[in-house]
Amino acid sequence: MSTTDIATLRGVATDRQVEAAEQPAPPTPAEAPSWSNMRAPDARSQQSAAVSVTNGRRALKVFLSNPNALFGTGFLAFVILIALIAPVIYPGDPLSMVGRPFLWPGQNPAFPLGTDSLGRDVLAGIVHGARISLFVGLVATALSLTFGVVLGAVAGYFGGRIDDLLVRLIEIFQTPPSFVLLVVLVAIARPSATTVTLAIAIISWPTVARLTRAEFRAIREKDFVVAARSLGYGHRRIIFSEILPNALPPIIVTSSVMVATAILMESALSFMGLGDPNVVSWGSMIGTGRELVRTAWYLTALPGLAIVVTVLALNLIGDGLNDALNPRFSQEG
Amino acid sequence: MTTKNSGALVSTRRAVLTSTVAFAALAAFSGVSGAAEEKPRGGSVSINIGTEPPVLVLIAHTAGAAYYISGKATESLLTYDTDFNPQPLLATAWEVSEDGLHYRFKLREGVTWHDGKDFTAEDVAFSILALKENHPRGRATFASVEQVNVLNRHEVELVLSKPAPYLLSAFASFEAPMVPKHLYAGTKIAENPHNVAPVGTGPYKFVEWVRGSHAIFERNDRYWGSPKPYLDQIIFRFIIDPAAAVAAIEAGEVQVSIANLPLTDIDRLKANPNLVVDTDPPPYSPSIARAEFNLENTYLADIRVRHAIAHAVDKDFIVSTIYLGYATRLDGPVSPDLAKFYTPDLPKYAFDPVKAEKLLDEAGYARGADGFRFKLYIDPTQPSGPPKQTAEYFAQALAKVGIKVELRTQDFATFVKRIFTDRDFDIAIEGMSNLYDPTVGIQRLYWSKNFKVGVPFSNGSRYVNPEVDRLLEAAAVEVDPKKRRELFNAFQKLVVQDLPTLDIVTPSVITVYDKRVKGLKTGVEHLWSNGADIQIGG
Repeated sequence: MSTTDIATLRGVATDRQVEAAEQPAPPTPAEAPSWSNMRAPDARSQQSAAVSVTNGRRALKVFLSNPNALFGTGFLAFVILIALIAPVIYPGDPLSMVGRPFLWPGQNPAFPLGTDSLGRDVLAGIVHGARISLFVGLVATALSLTFGVVLGAVAGYFGGRIDDLLVRLIEIFQTPPSFVLLVVLVAIARPSATTVTLAIAIISWPTVARLTRAEFRAIREKDFVVAARSLGYGHRRIIFSEILPNALPPIIVTSSVMVATAILMESALSFMGLGDPNVVSWGSMIGTGRELVRTAWYLTALPGLAIVVTVLALNLIGDGLNDALNPRFSQEG
Repeated sequence: MTTKNSGALVSTRRAVLTSTVAFAALAAFSGVSGAAEEKPRGGSVSINIGTEPPVLVLIAHTAGAAYYISGKATESLLTYDTDFNPQPLLATAWEVSEDGLHYRFKLREGVTWHDGKDFTAEDVAFSILALKENHPRGRATFASVEQVNVLNRHEVELVLSKPAPYLLSAFASFEAPMVPKHLYAGTKIAENPHNVAPVGTGPYKFVEWVRGSHAIFERNDRYWGSPKPYLDQIIFRFIIDPAAAVAAIEAGEVQVSIANLPLTDIDRLKANPNLVVDTDPPPYSPSIARAEFNLENTYLADIRVRHAIAHAVDKDFIVSTIYLGYATRLDGPVSPDLAKFYTPDLPKYAFDPVKAEKLLDEAGYARGADGFRFKLYIDPTQPSGPPKQTAEYFAQALAKVGIKVELRTQDFATFVKRIFTDRDFDIAIEGMSNLYDPTVGIQRLYWSKNFKVGVPFSNGSRYVNPEVDRLLEAAAVEVDPKKRRELFNAFQKLVVQDLPTLDIVTPSVITVYDKRVKGLKTGVEHLWSNGADIQIGG
């Protein structure tokens, strides 16, 4: 990625924001007010190199100075750590029946969070459940990002009939209620961690694709893209090196929320008994504990708490990223 | 639907209110006169049956949820006392010829259908033939019925091609409902609109069925068994969520609950002074939980592997931890509730993992580098509740003796297709009904001629034993009850030895009801009976 492109990113992003309100408005590049009417990218390269570096640092600074975002990052790091060391601190199958059923938290020091109706260790379940929840959340998001960005980029960049075709395809996936589609997909394929992940990716990519397409449509007419085209850049280079970096900020923000949504969807599926029955997930723990909510509420409350805090952490990170990357909020920094 | 729903609830409340007033009046009256035994009349009882059935009359269907409803409006010829002896219902007298080929029923006179027409022998003949043709089980039950002769207005005769010693047990109201010929003749029985809006001779008349909410039946004032029924109306509710079902019975929203209640809540309900918790299954058709082995699987085809599995699982653990004691350990294919055919004298497989390992070693399956001998799939009927927990326990228990087990869950329809059509399973954890006679309920599961791909609840393990076939076929036509019992005892011993399926437990059927409700359990049908005896008192 050339420095030129990063520099224009700020300007373009601002463009887009303003455009939404009153369009077409004169672009007001955030960091270069003196060159607000500057249209030739190469003429600006000298100055913008410096600007871009400050921008990256500034974004990080904004992010790190946000206590909510810091808390979110810290907690997510903690959950990732737990997930990584789960096989070390709780070796063996977390589904094995190791103790007396219905031990309450604190009742027996060997099972700090108690045992469930079949005598399985709740803490071991939560620790191992973190692996499944994060695996499903991260992999499903990565898959839908890849797919959604590529398709959205192609549709938005080329427009015309390709765009029409791809938008129809996206609409096919967006027409049925997404959770119903998810349940159908998982019911057809045998529920396992892989199929659940794929199914979540299949229902989440249209969101990314739409977002990316909208960004690309806004950016592709910008002068720097025209300039890149006139310089003889190929489509691929223009898409991936020129436009995509400028379109990324909203996608990054969305993706953090998508991880949270994927974790919730996996939990909902497991809650309904459609998750992988051979692994423990937070949702499946709630699902099996649900019937016992009147007599042993801790069986639903503890994994529920794990989901709430993890999803909250991801949302806080999303907010923090939004604040840091969205130029609308950048002036005060 | 919402408005309709709330309307129904309002009317229910009003009905309860009037009945309370009626009781108050009755109580006052009896107080003054000092009359001793007055059956409380009137009132309304709401019964939550959980799952909503697809039809309300079981003339061409065997939906389990409709067992509770069908007999209330459409009765059959007989009912049964607690020892399974036939008692008169629509038939007042009956006789079976020596050779077991002629059955003659004398019908009750002066009985009318809910629409006012007379109930006659024509209706009975029509219904029995309709059952033979359309009822999923009736096809087998009435297979040997060659003709049904109408002797006169109130007498019918069944002529059989070969003896069917179980036939007199088949005339329970929910199992063989009598339907009016004038409304069913010339129509497609399975699609007749009266299957969802019953017209029968029973103590309760159909009022309305609001899908997803409730079905209402009101007192049939012209019931032949007058002064029965005692209730003014019965409302069936379909609250399927276990937690909501518990809340409904505790709040008094329903007076009887036979929905799947969480077993952990039962102890709390028992402590409630206003409620009665009954755990007896209806002996007319006890259910059993079992692990069916696919004998087409190379490992499971080896009898030593099946015996090893039987020694590796602790049925008492399943009873105490999964069913929380609300089940009885089972060592053979017949539930002890089917007392006539149950034999306690069967070989038992003690919980002995060491022996299990030894058997597996003998079979030539040594533990591999990963500690496992081989891998099997296990499929429970439902993705939740005791079947799934049993499967989870099997997976854990078998892993300990070196069999890797992977659990698969699916909805019920997919499960049935997997086992009986695709035959893509190793061990299935399933519930199976014994029904009222082993020839009807158990033979189908072990008879080699009933290995039929695509037919649900047939011989899914593909078990073939000529001696078992012989015993079953002999018992099916044996008229002497004593000899028949001996045949079934020999059969039970044989299948427990061969172990094509491992019978696990016979679960309790938990009915929770308001202690003011009386007369719920009658004969062997319990709540599947016509409900004419149900009362609600003060």
